[in-house]
Amino acid sequence: MLEITQIIQQIAPDAQIETKQRLTITVRPDQLHPVIEALYRNETLRFDYLISLTGMDWGDRLGAIYQLSASVDLTQEVIVITSTADRDNPLLYSVTDLYGTAHLNEREIYALFGIRFINNPDMRRFLLNDQWKGFPFRKDYVHDPKLNPETVISSEIIDIAPRIMEKEGGELAEENVAVFGEEDYIVNIGPQHPSTHGVMHFRTSLDGEIVKKIDVHSGYIHRGIEKLCENMTYPQMLHLTDRLDYLSANINRHALCMCIEKGAEIEVPERAQYIRTIMDELQRISSHLLAWATHCNDLGATTAFIYGMREREHILDIFDKTCGGRLIINQNVVGGVMFDIYSDFQKDVKAFIPYMRKKLKEYDDFFSHNAIALGRMVRIGLLSREDAISYGVTGPAGRASGWSCDVRRYKPYALYDQVEFKEIVRTEGDSYARYLNRLDEIEESLHIIEQLIDNIPSGEVCAKVKPIIRIPAGQFFQSVETGKGEFGVFIESSGDKNPYRVKFRSPSLAAVSVIPLISKGAFLSDLIGITGSMDFVIPDIDR
Amino acid sequence: MKFIKYIGSIFTGLRSLAGGMIVTWKELLTPKVTMEYPENRKTLVISDRWRSELIMPHDENNEHACTACGICMMNCPNGTIKVTSLSIDTEDGKKKKILDKHLWNYGSCTFCNLCVITCPSDAIIFNNDFEGAVFDKSKFLHQLNHEGSKLREKKKESPVPASDATAKKEN
Amino acid sequence: MLIYSQPLELTKLLAAIDNFLQGNLSPGWAILVKGILVGILLLATYALIALALIYIERKVAAFFQARLGPNRLGKYGVIQSLADMIKILIKEVIHINKADKLLFYAAPFFVIVASVLAFGALPFGINLHAIDFNIGVFYLLAVSSLGIIGILLAGWSSNNKYSMIGAMRSGAQFISYELSAGFSLMTIVVLSGSMQFSEIIEGQRYCWNLFNGHLPAMIAFVIYLISGHAETNRGPFDLPEAESELTAGYHTEYSGLQFGFFYLSEYLNMFIIAAVATTVFLGGWMPIQIKGLEAFNQAMWYIPSWAWFFGKAGLLMFLSLWVRWSFPRLRIDLLLNLEWKYLLPINLVNLLVMVLVVLSGFTLTDLFPVLFGK
Repeated sequence: MLEITQIIQQIAPDAQIETKQRLTITVRPDQLHPVIEALYRNETLRFDYLISLTGMDWGDRLGAIYQLSASVDLTQEVIVITSTADRDNPLLYSVTDLYGTAHLNEREIYALFGIRFINNPDMRRFLLNDQWKGFPFRKDYVHDPKLNPETVISSEIIDIAPRIMEKEGGELAEENVAVFGEEDYIVNIGPQHPSTHGVMHFRTSLDGEIVKKIDVHSGYIHRGIEKLCENMTYPQMLHLTDRLDYLSANINRHALCMCIEKGAEIEVPERAQYIRTIMDELQRISSHLLAWATHCNDLGATTAFIYGMREREHILDIFDKTCGGRLIINQNVVGGVMFDIYSDFQKDVKAFIPYMRKKLKEYDDFFSHNAIALGRMVRIGLLSREDAISYGVTGPAGRASGWSCDVRRYKPYALYDQVEFKEIVRTEGDSYARYLNRLDEIEESLHIIEQLIDNIPSGEVCAKVKPIIRIPAGQFFQSVETGKGEFGVFIESSGDKNPYRVKFRSPSLAAVSVIPLISKGAFLSDLIGITGSMDFVIPDIDR
Repeated sequence: MKFIKYIGSIFTGLRSLAGGMIVTWKELLTPKVTMEYPENRKTLVISDRWRSELIMPHDENNEHACTACGICMMNCPNGTIKVTSLSIDTEDGKKKKILDKHLWNYGSCTFCNLCVITCPSDAIIFNNDFEGAVFDKSKFLHQLNHEGSKLREKKKESPVPASDATAKKEN
Repeated sequence: MLIYSQPLELTKLLAAIDNFLQGNLSPGWAILVKGILVGILLLATYALIALALIYIERKVAAFFQARLGPNRLGKYGVIQSLADMIKILIKEVIHINKADKLLFYAAPFFVIVASVLAFGALPFGINLHAIDFNIGVFYLLAVSSLGIIGILLAGWSSNNKYSMIGAMRSGAQFISYELSAGFSLMTIVVLSGSMQFSEIIEGQRYCWNLFNGHLPAMIAFVIYLISGHAETNRGPFDLPEAESELTAGYHTEYSGLQFGFFYLSEYLNMFIIAAVATTVFLGGWMPIQIKGLEAFNQAMWYIPSWAWFFGKAGLLMFLSLWVRWSFPRLRIDLLLNLEWKYLLPINLVNLLVMVLVVLSGFTLTDLFPVLFGK
């Protein structure tokens, strides 16, 4: 880290460098790109993974927080902060040339905070439509429904992208470029489409059956959860995390609970840790089962869909008995879990493990070696390791490209440092590798549960927590491994009972951002198969 | 050699397809476990902790435990609960706050259970009655305290039925 | 003698109706009335078979998928498809802006007329055969390929991109698989030496064509089932509809009765493919007969010929359902690969082999005339 500090000081002598928990560098906007590029190209440890990009409004200044990490060692993290005082026309430099994932994130920040990024090739708003007045995540945004009235009139999508490019002399030029050519045959895959798993919208330009270009639109169900959180107390925020990636509801909530516990320095009882870990793994199995089922359904095997749902139902029954919910289960609370396990919990889980193993074998016979399925998955949607890192594609999809990125292994939380499990990594990078990774991870999750289920210690399930939780001023980040990949919670607190800013790092957004790249030149049918294999959930994108 | 590979590919393909067909054939003969809901109403088991409808348990004297403190209302993340109170004069001449209406909106509740776990007097719980569909949105607004009910005196033992209380004790 | 031994056969009833008409009307009128009666009967059977098939498919699919299927209307949901039919009949026919009105309305008729034409030429049992062409196989191939015009028109005239892609896929698929289906039927025409259904059935009295032509016939059978299945646009060959890719493909914009036409004809085409395969490969309505075992043969005739026909066709349709609910969908290039790289070359070689088998007398009837001879 010392070496990094020196490099930064050479490039930006007036950068503020703090090394409290993580190395935090505050730079002027014009130094942002050189600093990040230096970190990106740092030879001993390349910070080539942009975990999350958070827009910020500090009242007088607008800015962004870049959380960087090294793909080879996820424990290494650097935070770069920059801000500008110009609230009327805030401009920052884009890092899209270094990190693919920055593209959609910068567009999101533009929509929500109004910060435009120089050199981002396509600076349309993401999540919000072009007609939206004001920037809703700014602290001075006026919540007047008259400003942005509800309308039933549909507006045409304008495929013209504004952007600001820096010319060679250093002057900035505003341009408008067309997203599609005049002659392009554009098919809307979504927002109402059976295979986008929600209201995702891919504007797809086709040449016959071949995909030429995809333009991603999203935000049809954007709820502004991060903004809602700013007006809630910490326990109140919890129920919203279940509504992000609803298939990993429990794991998301675990992340937020841990982030709050970290800030408020609350010790979680061991029994609660066991329950949390077991429930997380059950949730992961259910998420992977649904991913398997919908992937098969996208490839036209409706029967497989029902088979996956059938097994998932057993897990949901266990959830139902544990905490009275099936999809949105509200199990974790700050300091532990809300409900202790029920008396037959261990028996039910132990009965489920051999059942699931038998069914995994059945899935293999049914689909994994099927000649048609192989033709639809092998060498389709190739994602290289470099692209996976650049676009921040984590989870089973990232590991299918040979990137070992399991948060449970690198930054163990709960009991993951005490259990033994294999991280499934494949190097093919195709749909089939992603498909197999999920099935293998189900097996690993079963293995983790097996190790824990008989050793649950007795004791409290929830620590004593003050009725009003306050987190000391500062920035807190906690990431977990959900069924989709790395999910992170960032909280900036001003010491109040409400957070100042909350940001969720969404694994699904990364998965979607890479789809235009990997499905270029594929068949239309394969585009559907690829979206199925990437396994994204829309509410996780439209936070 | 190429020809053998070509023929071989036909047979491996056919074998894999047959494997899939065997799985579906086995499923065809497996008895189905689907629950047929309105018919199985009598045998249907809903887990004890299932959260369906917020209720305020009343005992046989039509008394409840709500002191109208409003903590549930404060903790509710999306304004689902409204507690209104009245101020009355007690027999010994003191002013006392009693519950007027405890209103809960079924339509906007997210069943996060915060109100139940934060209630200091354990006055409200979720029950298992999941059949909450109505034809009119206005019917979602439930008044939890019964007509003419009043606050239970402190000295009495908690008359909440044991089965209702289990969910709470486990917290 | 034959009549008495076949109590459930409809021959006698038909003869009685025929006699009644002949006796009471002039010959011209009698033929006209008979024609109308046959037409009504065919259409009624058509609708009934389609409704039954829709119910059976939903039920069978459900059981393959660990579900129960329709179970709300009537015992085991038996009147579900009837209710669906009524619903479809009273639904609004939605008018599409910027659609080619004439072609849009004409398309479903092309599809349904093609399948009715093919349906009419099927031999359902003894004397249950509306018209026995001497080129029956050829006629059937010809009319059943008319349906594709309807699908192409539907896709084109809807002015919808999904429909258009679906229709184009359908065109490519149909033309390809039509070849295979045609060639495999030709293989059997070579074997039985006739294109007339009645003759083909009669020729299979003691030995089905499937066994008579042994290896080449069996290959032809499998290829016919695959390509027939592909022609009906059903999974894993349902690319023109490809519900997870193109929402509903060529019939995305259709509603009400027009959609009902597509729906009916899809099921009927499945039946027609199974029926043709039955007739050509599995002896049609002919009961199982073993040469020399007269008592057994008599006993077999107690089961009426139409029951044999529907039974055999039913088995093939079940196979089709089983395949449909087991496999994922092919992609368009895999689909064309399968046809042009596998089925068609094998088929051509197979046809040649069949010619050699027939010429050199290697069919079962030639090899063992005592057991299987006519």
